[in-house]
Amino acid sequence: MVTPALAILSLFTLGLLAPFLFALLPRHAGKLLCLPPAFWCGWFWSKTPASGQTWTSPWIPELGITFSFRLDGLASLFAILITGIGAMVLLYTEGYCGAKPGSGRLYGLLLLFLASMLGVVLADDAILLFLFWEATSVTSFLLIGFEHERANARRGAVQALMVTGGGGLALLAGLLVIVQQTGQGRISAWGPLAGDPLYLAMFALVAIGCFTKSAQFPFHFWLPNAMTAPTPVSAYLHSATMVKAGVYLLARLSGSLGGTEVWTWTLTLVGGATMLTGTLLALRQTDLKRLLAYSTVAALGTMVFVLARGGAEAASAFAAFVLAHALYKGALFLVAGAIDHTADSRDAFRLGGLWQRAPVLATASTLAGLGMMGVAPLAFLAKETLVDGLLSPPDVPSLIVFGVMAAGAVAIAGIVAFRPFFGKADPAIADGHKPDAPLLTGPAVLAVLGIVGGLTPTFVFERIGGPVAAAIGGGTDPHPWALWHGFGAPLAFSVGTLALGLAVYRAWPAWIARAAPWPSFGFDRAYDAGLRGTVSVARAFTRTIQNGRLRAYLQTTIATFLVLVTLAAVRWNPSPQIRLDTALPHEALLALAMLLAVLAAVRSVSRLAAVVTLGVVGFGVALTYALFGAPDLAMTQIAVETLTVILFVLTFYHLPRFARGSGTRTRAVDALLATGVGATMAAITLVASQRLLGTPISAHFAENSLAEAHGRNVVNVILVDYRGLDTLGEITVLSIAGLGVVALWTFGRRAAKGGSA
Amino acid sequence: MYNLLAQTDGNGLAKRLAEAFPPPTIDWPSILPIALVVCTGIVALIVEMLRPRQNNNAIIGFSLVGLFFAGLSLTSQFASPDLESFGGMVLRDRFSLTIQLLVVMVTGLTILFSDGYLRAKRIPFGEFYPLVLWSASGAMMMASSKNLLMIFLGIEVLSISLYVLAGMSKTETKSEESALKYFLLGAFASAFLLYGIAFMYGATGSLHLDAIRSAWNPNDEAFRNMMLFGMGLMLFGLAFKAAFVPFHQWTPDVYQGAPTNVTAFMAAGSKIGAMAALWRLLSASTTNVDLGATFQSYWMPALFWIAILTMTVGNLVALVQKDVKRTLGYSSIAHAGYILVGILAHVNNPEKVGIGTTVFYLLSYSLMTIGAFAVVSLTAKNGKEGTRFEDLHGLWKRSPFAVGCLIVFVASLIGIPPTSGFFGKLMIFNDALASDLMPLAIVLAVNSVLSVYYYVGIAKAAFVDAEGARTPESAPMNLGLAATCLLCAGGIFAVVILFNPLMNWLVGAP
Repeated sequence: MVTPALAILSLFTLGLLAPFLFALLPRHAGKLLCLPPAFWCGWFWSKTPASGQTWTSPWIPELGITFSFRLDGLASLFAILITGIGAMVLLYTEGYCGAKPGSGRLYGLLLLFLASMLGVVLADDAILLFLFWEATSVTSFLLIGFEHERANARRGAVQALMVTGGGGLALLAGLLVIVQQTGQGRISAWGPLAGDPLYLAMFALVAIGCFTKSAQFPFHFWLPNAMTAPTPVSAYLHSATMVKAGVYLLARLSGSLGGTEVWTWTLTLVGGATMLTGTLLALRQTDLKRLLAYSTVAALGTMVFVLARGGAEAASAFAAFVLAHALYKGALFLVAGAIDHTADSRDAFRLGGLWQRAPVLATASTLAGLGMMGVAPLAFLAKETLVDGLLSPPDVPSLIVFGVMAAGAVAIAGIVAFRPFFGKADPAIADGHKPDAPLLTGPAVLAVLGIVGGLTPTFVFERIGGPVAAAIGGGTDPHPWALWHGFGAPLAFSVGTLALGLAVYRAWPAWIARAAPWPSFGFDRAYDAGLRGTVSVARAFTRTIQNGRLRAYLQTTIATFLVLVTLAAVRWNPSPQIRLDTALPHEALLALAMLLAVLAAVRSVSRLAAVVTLGVVGFGVALTYALFGAPDLAMTQIAVETLTVILFVLTFYHLPRFARGSGTRTRAVDALLATGVGATMAAITLVASQRLLGTPISAHFAENSLAEAHGRNVVNVILVDYRGLDTLGEITVLSIAGLGVVALWTFGRRAAKGGSA
Repeated sequence: MYNLLAQTDGNGLAKRLAEAFPPPTIDWPSILPIALVVCTGIVALIVEMLRPRQNNNAIIGFSLVGLFFAGLSLTSQFASPDLESFGGMVLRDRFSLTIQLLVVMVTGLTILFSDGYLRAKRIPFGEFYPLVLWSASGAMMMASSKNLLMIFLGIEVLSISLYVLAGMSKTETKSEESALKYFLLGAFASAFLLYGIAFMYGATGSLHLDAIRSAWNPNDEAFRNMMLFGMGLMLFGLAFKAAFVPFHQWTPDVYQGAPTNVTAFMAAGSKIGAMAALWRLLSASTTNVDLGATFQSYWMPALFWIAILTMTVGNLVALVQKDVKRTLGYSSIAHAGYILVGILAHVNNPEKVGIGTTVFYLLSYSLMTIGAFAVVSLTAKNGKEGTRFEDLHGLWKRSPFAVGCLIVFVASLIGIPPTSGFFGKLMIFNDALASDLMPLAIVLAVNSVLSVYYYVGIAKAAFVDAEGARTPESAPMNLGLAATCLLCAGGIFAVVILFNPLMNWLVGAP
């Protein structure tokens, strides 16, 4: 079982080499590049196993990440679709782009995507799966924005990346929660998780990931905007494969996460809402690709809707629908691209009469259109199987929703598959060129397969339906696929929806011509508004707190500090004990004097006065030291204070004139903050003073300084003897600083002289 | 001491001295790396005086060789046992060795691309190299001690050099402004930190983190209050250095104004140091519940919110920036938030979450940040430098290699697999879940989405064709810059491919 890894690796390498191949053989690149995927398609078709096969190799054991791949029925179905349709799309690209320069990049990205997508469906390790999942998002981003000179291509690309990438992170979170709870990174080893205490979180996160990827309501809006991609990309990524990754993962995890009420209800409601939204919005469109995109949304909703039910029968119906949808929708997208190529228009309302110009294309389109209507064999079979499930026992609301979707599909099929070829042409539509063979092969092959597959139901069931049912349905489907279910309720339902759909189709041109423009609402706009809102919040933020002013920065910092301290104080109530009764009158007088000096310093309009009053505060501190028995400290303080005042005055000499730059309001805020900080610091110091550590060492020094150090001045003994080394260090530092000052001084004078000379 | 000497005869002196002053254990190898880096700086300064004026190659050569030997001495100690020496001032354990190695690596990468840039900006001062080396030695000190004063000294050594470096482009006002802002606010933060250390000392009578941890007693109210204030003030100071919101405001201004190579070192080296110190402080400030309320139950909520704020504000404000350096500055704030989540996860559940995540993230973050700044430094030429988004226009045509690397860096900054940025985020995410910090994990995820927008903008700017470009043609690629880009971009993938052996080597077997 090394082969899955080999398949991914070889296709990945091919993607890296594709631009070079294109440079060598621009006219035949598609023909050559489609061969390896086609080979792997055949291989997967021939190898569909009855039970899963696994291959594992360790990678990052700390995170529990292994290289594990697993091939079972479900993986095989998707692998066949990815490689098979991939081959057709690569061939089609040759006809679509020709030898246009830059197409090498398109081939390369398509192949890289192909390899990543194959990785998603083959990976058995949760994180490995996520890596490939993200790789599909990134390649999809690059492919949607392929024509990056167009603004709406760039917007569509970024939108798709934000939505699917964001959902991807939710998915990662969900997967990690599961891995942590189960202690197991291998998806196939996860048992049912419904009993887990974190089940809801797991399900919600995984579901968000899957819903965003598969364009489910309310995340559906990115898919139509992704139609700015080149048509091969739309056909491949945004219809046949990538958007099915979410559906695939839901199917894959239905064994672990499924079977609960939350699962059933969420998937039913979201799937149903998506079906209705997709169908109704599709009918408002006139652009072929956007029509198809919305109908793809509806189809994806159907898949989710089916998965809600669980069990082998639903699994088998799911397989039939996925297969049928990939074939007809892929074909129709390719046809739309070919029409665009032929008539230079994608306007379904104006196109018509193209069958004369492109008869082969018209045939392919008809066959695929019949598939979408649910008339062509494979699609008919899928629809009958689905309705069978809904009828036993009859589930009326679901039948109605499904009926609307099916009728809508009929109408949309009529609009995109028949009208451009057989309808009346608008004379304004230009005469284009005829589509050539590579452009026709893809749609033709896919459309024909949709017919052939339905004609050999037992054979296809053995390869596809049965293994899928075994892989995710937990057993074998008791009703193998059959084309003819007899005359009964399912057939009546089909006929009914067909008739309704045809009626809508007939009414459509008149209705679309009269229809008022769509009122502007919807999730696309919500996304825009969200983006705009985020940006304006960011702008406001920048204006208010990131204005470049140092004072504002200090204000924020101090305010934060105050808020935090206040919060802490409220919560823990440190209650500093302030005992005013012990204060002596002269102490109180001193404190008052210092307070007044501070106020004077703040209020002063002259710098000199401010400094002098500040000096008063300093000398007050010195006096306090003296009062509390620290004369040495007081002396130091006086010296420092004097020096500071002198330095201040020296600096003033160089400063511009004193001016008040701030208004009353800013000054009030400043005053508030300053008072707050002062009060807080005082409170903190008071709190600190409540705790006394150990015994003071001063008694020891006083006793021993004469005996041990033969000195009567205790302070001197401490400085030069007990702490001699410290003092030495201090003196050294001081000397070096002094030298530095001298150096700067002389250098400055020399520079000034040089400047003047 | 006179007394001591007077009473003893020759034989007993040594013994009595040893009893009176027990000699501290001295383990020279444990300070050898720092000593090597400092001495390299001194040598570089001497070479600066002797070298020919036009050429910095000799200084660069000496610096790189010195760093290489420092790295060698670090790796050679990986097998040595954990050890505290110099009287508990220097600690050698896996964390300190790994962090020091990261700092050495970051310094080397910065020096490698600096010369071309400094020349293009016409500020090829040889002093850059010794200053950046000394700054690095400060970051190394911060990681290799459990003594609060040593950590403080480390921060100051780191910062003071950076203040000078930020203002190195003397002709540009914005460079001078950034230096002044950085200095004033940095000094402010240092004061807070020091005051907090004083409180801790006042409460516990020790500067050693282990002693502080064992001293915790929630039932003695006065003691508890002092420790809480001390812790709060210290966190305040460190949050400043690490640029957590709301202490981040200096970051964008300084990052934008400082010369780009200095910014690169600041964003990586300085952040590694701050994070290492924070990691040490926080993991030493966790206590068991036996005593009643744990220490962390007091400060954890504050840091929890700071992490949320840091991630969100960093990414949000980055959305509207027009300058690449500023954007990367905000991005570095956001990444600081991510790293904080990783640290908190470790603190919350030290049994399950080891040092691996923090170390790996710092490694990966350094690679991508230095790489990104290195590419941005290409916009300098003829003494001018424009770092607005439009100044990157057309870079694709002029140096496709640099733009190719830029894409790798941007992808890694976003966290797109299979880059190291993705795995780093994955590990943090995993850790947050493992230690019951689910809300932080969710905020991290949401922010990752937000960040896509502006990171893609950086890459996009390089691809847009230059139309009537404002700035002169950007500087030509030079060998050093190409080497830095190659090492960083290669490293981003290499650390993922070699994840297992690398992490085993760096942090030991799990």
